[in-house]
Amino acid sequence: MWRLWNSIIVLCFLAGLLLTPAMALTVKENYLFYCAPCHGIEGRGDGPNATPTQPVAPRNHRSKKEMSKLSDQDIINVIKFGGRATGISTLMPPYKNTLTEEEIVELKDYLRELCQCRGPE
Amino acid sequence: MLDGLKVISSVLIVYIFIATGSHVWAGVEEGRRLFVEKGCTECHTTERPARAPTFQEFLKEKGPPLWYAGSKFRKDWLRKWLQAPEPVRPMAYNSIKERNPANHPALDGKEAEAVTEYLASLTTDRVKRGIVKPKKTVRGRIIFEKKLGCYGCHLVRKGKRVVGGLSGPTLVGAGKRLNPDWIYAFLKDQNFFIPYTSMPIYVGIVTDREMRVLSGYVAAME
Ligand code: HEC
Repeated sequence: MWRLWNSIIVLCFLAGLLLTPAMALTVKENYLFYCAPCHGIEGRGDGPNATPTQPVAPRNHRSKKEMSKLSDQDIINVIKFGGRATGISTLMPPYKNTLTEEEIVELKDYLRELCQCRGPE
Repeated sequence: MLDGLKVISSVLIVYIFIATGSHVWAGVEEGRRLFVEKGCTECHTTERPARAPTFQEFLKEKGPPLWYAGSKFRKDWLRKWLQAPEPVRPMAYNSIKERNPANHPALDGKEAEAVTEYLASLTTDRVKRGIVKPKKTVRGRIIFEKKLGCYGCHLVRKGKRVVGGLSGPTLVGAGKRLNPDWIYAFLKDQNFFIPYTSMPIYVGIVTDREMRVLSGYVAAME
């Protein structure tokens, strides 16, 4: 009996190990880790990389005016392929091989929350 | 007869060991001891972790991993830097809020010598030697400045000015600091070296050839 319980416990433990999903970051963690160094912790375009020596400033993600010019697809494209996707500076990097499709779509939704805006119809 | 040969060969082996490497070896051991004694292990790992840290654990780390220091850094740079450490990262490690407090402890000349030998012994065969030569090429500059915009996160020298972002390690003086082949190995698979980094993965965005050119360009930075 004791043995049976032991085996069951071990099996549960192993199953637990196998079933734990690969660790994914939350959208907020992704934003703070990947985007905030330029776009700022609150998304105001004022991260530590936004120095006066840079040729352009990172987009203020809270700006309704700027962000509502972009469609959802534009946002997804610029995150995936970088500045060249929307014809802006290549200072905006491409993340297609760094973040998953899902993470990129989550970031798009997160940006929409920051700007409280939608794209052009 | 056979025994005689054995004795002669052991003597020879011991002799060769003493003649060639033992002083270096002694430096390595002394450096290893100092590294622990001086508290360096509080912020730096010297062995590849058996299990990758979780993201939260990683964010708590206070200094860069050094288990591949011998493949990453140039020895002469280590020797000097350990005696007069100046920030490599403008921001505090793993922070985008705080500046680097520039309070890295310094070692004296003898200590630095031993710790340099120790760190130089921490290598990984992931860094293949002799692939990248430092070279200031126009192609390298175009990839660095135009195609990827690396200065977005890294400081670089541009004429007499220093320009760029602050979140990544400075590339001013990168040629003196970094092994050219390490730069290439890092670009090819950064997560082998560090489990999380804000630097985007550029494999598949620039070609292998471009990466070599780019590594050579960075390795020539003054
Ligand atoms: C190295 C700095 C840097 C990082 C890191 C960065 N960006 Fe940017 N981003 C910029 C700059 C600079 C611009 C504006 C470029 C311009 O106006 O020419 C920009 C623009 C944008 C835009 C506006 C695009 C447009 O066409 O108007 C979006 C959306 C954006 N970034 C999202 C992100 C997201 C999401 C992340 C993180 C996954 C991120 N950025 C990471 C620098 C950066």
